[in-house]
Amino acid sequence: MRTFNLAAAAILGTTALTSPAVAQDIDLPIVDEPLELTVHMHWARAQGYGPGGDTSKIYPVEEVARKQTNIHLIDKTSGRNTTDNAEAMNLLLATGDLPDIVGGANIRQPVNEYGPQGAFVPLNDLVAEHAPNIQAWFDEHPEIWDAISAYDGNVYYIPYLPDGKYARAWFVRQDWLDTLGLERPDNVDELYEVLVAFRDQDPNGNGVKDEIPFFVRDWEEVLRLLTLWDARSTGADVYHQFYLKDGKVVHPYAQEAYRDGLANIAQWYDEGLIDAELFTRGSSARDYLLGENLGGMTHDWFASTSGYNVALADKVEGFNFVPFLPPKSVSGKRIEENRRIPMKPDGWAISYTNDHPVETIKYFDYWFSEEGALLANFGVEGKTWDMVDGEPIYKPEVLDSGRPVNSQMYLEGAQVYRGYPQDYRYEWQWTRESAREGIKLYDTEDLLVEQFLGVSFNKEEQEVYDRYYPSIQTYMLERQQAWILGTGDVKEDWDDYMEALNNMGYQKVLEVMNSAYERQYGG
Amino acid sequence: MTNDPNFTGAAGPTTEELVFDAKEAQRRRKPNTMQRVGDHLKREWQLYVMLIPTILWLAIFLYKPMYGLQIAFKDYSIFRGVADSPWIGLEHFQTLFGNDQFIRALRNTIIISFYGLIFGFPMPILLALMFNEILKQSFKKTAQTIVYLPHFVSSVIIAGIVITAFSPSAGIVNTILGWLGMDPIYFLTKPEWFRPIFVGTGIWQEAGFQSIVYLAAIAGVSPTLYESAVVDGASRWQMMWKITLPSILPTIIIMLIIRIGNMLEISFEMIILLYQPATYETGDVVNTFIYRQGIQGGQYDLAAAAGLFNAVVAFVLVMTANAISKRYSRTSLW
Repeated sequence: MRTFNLAAAAILGTTALTSPAVAQDIDLPIVDEPLELTVHMHWARAQGYGPGGDTSKIYPVEEVARKQTNIHLIDKTSGRNTTDNAEAMNLLLATGDLPDIVGGANIRQPVNEYGPQGAFVPLNDLVAEHAPNIQAWFDEHPEIWDAISAYDGNVYYIPYLPDGKYARAWFVRQDWLDTLGLERPDNVDELYEVLVAFRDQDPNGNGVKDEIPFFVRDWEEVLRLLTLWDARSTGADVYHQFYLKDGKVVHPYAQEAYRDGLANIAQWYDEGLIDAELFTRGSSARDYLLGENLGGMTHDWFASTSGYNVALADKVEGFNFVPFLPPKSVSGKRIEENRRIPMKPDGWAISYTNDHPVETIKYFDYWFSEEGALLANFGVEGKTWDMVDGEPIYKPEVLDSGRPVNSQMYLEGAQVYRGYPQDYRYEWQWTRESAREGIKLYDTEDLLVEQFLGVSFNKEEQEVYDRYYPSIQTYMLERQQAWILGTGDVKEDWDDYMEALNNMGYQKVLEVMNSAYERQYGG
Repeated sequence: MTNDPNFTGAAGPTTEELVFDAKEAQRRRKPNTMQRVGDHLKREWQLYVMLIPTILWLAIFLYKPMYGLQIAFKDYSIFRGVADSPWIGLEHFQTLFGNDQFIRALRNTIIISFYGLIFGFPMPILLALMFNEILKQSFKKTAQTIVYLPHFVSSVIIAGIVITAFSPSAGIVNTILGWLGMDPIYFLTKPEWFRPIFVGTGIWQEAGFQSIVYLAAIAGVSPTLYESAVVDGASRWQMMWKITLPSILPTIIIMLIIRIGNMLEISFEMIILLYQPATYETGDVVNTFIYRQGIQGGQYDLAAAAGLFNAVVAFVLVMTANAISKRYSRTSLW
């Protein structure tokens, strides 16, 4: 326990966004008489503000928050019978009867669209006057304040702010490398050689050429290979997004580096280095290909992928699937494109029907205070965790219960998608040793690239984007898959492709993207 | 009227009285509409009670939502609501028809539906005729159960079965191709294979269940027809052609009209489960286009316009089919 704390502290020293930095004093309770505020809280783990969405029960965390702040959140969630956040939000807005607080997953777009129309309260002045902790957090991260603003320059929601850096990583069968006497690939050429060796030299030793050198669960992950030729596959933590190139917003699939990168991916696919069933393998690919001792390399989540060494220890002899540093690209750059985004479209907002905006923003601020953030991250002190030498440490019964700690927290009312700063110390404590080593490895170099945090369109820009972009992306993906599958040649088709994109309005979309970007992040 | 001064009493009714009596008698025999309806309701009220749930269902789930169709002509904002969103006329329709991908989706919809009709419609009839010819009851029951079964399996599972069956490495189809000395084909990424696989899957899934209607119709054919045919020395083949098929023809035509009305309602969840950007070219239909562009993209007004257009095409199709059928076969839905 002790050594692990030190290790945790060492890593945390290098991650930027830890702990509510400058905790300010706030007066508690916020109100003298109990004040009830209604809340819409719709997210993946709970459709409603109660354990697992059961609103007849009260979260243990909420009970403590009530005692401390005297503000009682009362559930008033719409769309509790659907798990689709957007649908629930639409239902809520369509009824027009908004609760005092609107929270949950994916609220950024609706809040920033309908906030300026009067559905939500602008928070800029409220935060400046009444929320010292929120203010302090954003003073340190002004770019995130820009990112959450609507097109009118106001901020309408307080986001959930994830902590930690890495999401997905490169994994390789170390035991296969050892069998074939190979080193971990350090650049794109070595990677190619390793994949060829996996294909040809029977590393699983069954005498059949059935190895699948590179495989993925979501076919889009194969596009991470693009970074090996200095191209990009996306600019954010979801696929196919715009990215920032020399201060301008552009789409990765309209760049010349992409053309060359994709030509190479098509080549590798043709040579059998990439899973032939890439597009239909689906989510069970990793279980199946690792379990059957067939898959050699992938790009997938640190946390879940590192679990296979334990899970398959008895089934596949010598199984050792380890993370390795992203291979250097043709120009010698080493990047890991995928990372955790520092701010999510989740959180909460104050609706126009709320008669107590000042009390509400003070309440939001509470979750950014040291006490509130600990409560929001770890649950109730003394119940799920204790303070040991100034560090919040989970009780053994939480860590050793056999259930994932996050699932336990969701039932406690911690790690709920309210607006709060996540604390990576929460996750580190239950991260497997093998994943920790991978994270340490990735921390030895500066691998991460700038994220495009998205823009808020005004009405005209939104219209242009809606009119042109969905078709453009459809076309991009159609051609992308066709090229990988060998229907057509990306280098020969490139000029026609670019012309088609421009005819479909690509330049117009870029214009509105960049005008929105400059308005939002320029000043 | 008489002019006889000695006439003292009424010997008989006057003409007016006769007319009045006749009318009264007629009225009593033929009560007015109100009374008739009242009597009828009193007598048949159970039937009307049974009708209520259907009427409610129609009103709530089909007629009330039609109010929302107006957003196809509006610049719809959820927060402003259906009524307060401004009218913009046919702009969404112009956007749709200016979009090559919508035109392509429309073309794919029509082609896939047409394939479904040509290949899918006769199958349940053939199945029903075949079942009818099976003499051994136990075999008949088993065979029927087997062909009904896929209907009760969820689309997600069917899609999983199809993806596995057509997989280039482990799928049965490519294994058989391998025996024949052919190279494996990655069917589900080949645009030219999408429609056959989709339509074939649909037939496999639904033909058995749809054959129930025809089996019921066949069961209703009078056995005396067959008996006299046997006496006349008709073969089973002749009986099928000359008795069974003509007898169930009205059922076939009604089913065909209904089918044409639903033609554009392609089971789009199945398409979403099976298609890829690589097969959009032949597999993207209006409903999947609406799903991607409208629902995922949040453009409800545009999606409503596309859906409305789809419905109009379907309406024209069913009207035409009904009119043609009425003219040539005297069988029609209305």
